[in-house]
Amino acid sequence: MADTGADQLDDTIVSEPLDLVRLSLNERVFVKLKGDREIRGRLHAYDSHCNLVLSDVEETVYIMDDEDEDLKTIQKQSEMLFVRGDAVVLISPPTQS
Amino acid sequence: MLFFSFFKTLIDEQVIVELKNDMSVRGTLKSVDQFLNIKLDDVSVVDEVKYPHLSAVKNVFIRGSVVRYVHLPGAVVDTALLEDATRKEAASQASKMGGR
Amino acid sequence: MSNGTAESPFSPSAEKSEISSNNPSAFLSQITGAKVAVKLNSGVEYRGDLQCVDGYMNIALEQTEEYVDGVLKNQYGDVFIRGNNGMLVFCFRFVRKFGRYRRIMILNFLG
Repeated sequence: MADTGADQLDDTIVSEPLDLVRLSLNERVFVKLKGDREIRGRLHAYDSHCNLVLSDVEETVYIMDDEDEDLKTIQKQSEMLFVRGDAVVLISPPTQS
Repeated sequence: MLFFSFFKTLIDEQVIVELKNDMSVRGTLKSVDQFLNIKLDDVSVVDEVKYPHLSAVKNVFIRGSVVRYVHLPGAVVDTALLEDATRKEAASQASKMGGR
Repeated sequence: MSNGTAESPFSPSAEKSEISSNNPSAFLSQITGAKVAVKLNSGVEYRGDLQCVDGYMNIALEQTEEYVDGVLKNQYGDVFIRGNNGMLVFCFRFVRKFGRYRRIMILNFLG
């Protein structure tokens, strides 16, 4: 029973939304977070809360300057990053975008 | 439970916890629980000038829900093992859902 | 009174042949494959083909376009949208009714 379950999981069929995330393991993904933040990095772990662990991470923070209507961006690098799931808005495998 | 177990393997490692209020705390990971609450020892606030009020604090307890990121040392994470554990966790979640 | 409810476009009988369930997540899984627009509380809108939905109302879309203030900002092949961001799901589906095509737009509002 457990074996058949594992076999089904090997399929590349997306039968529930988190399958999309599972198929992105060890791939570079794009993650959009609350607070105008975006992350690109290689996905190594996730759970049902969308907690994530990513490596070779590049974070972009967008800061809207109200005075001159300028959109400033801040880039940050991190070699290994845990992201708490409650801030996650969307996850996308960037290769086919 | 995946991330609880994962963080337990990182005990005694140097980490930087970035909070949702933008403050970052560097320290040694001393303990973690199922809510991913975190205890750090030998702490230092990354931006001392902006947050001087914690400069005398030696250890902190951080409620899991206020954490945005935890920056980890890349070398101590076995990524292949982590991916296997993630797949197993996903499979067990799926079989639970099927049982309902 | 009863007349009023029968006339209501949102009364269960109005679309009974099309939508047999009045449970939001069951409805969403019924319209998989349809072209949908998902509008988040932040105002960002995602349009794409609905792949699947789960109990948390996480959503997987295909061929997704991201619109901010009505302007196309991004395109993604696949996208996973976390369910607990308050969202509104529009279904663009054309159904034959009374001999003509009528567009139905179903609204589903979560926290």
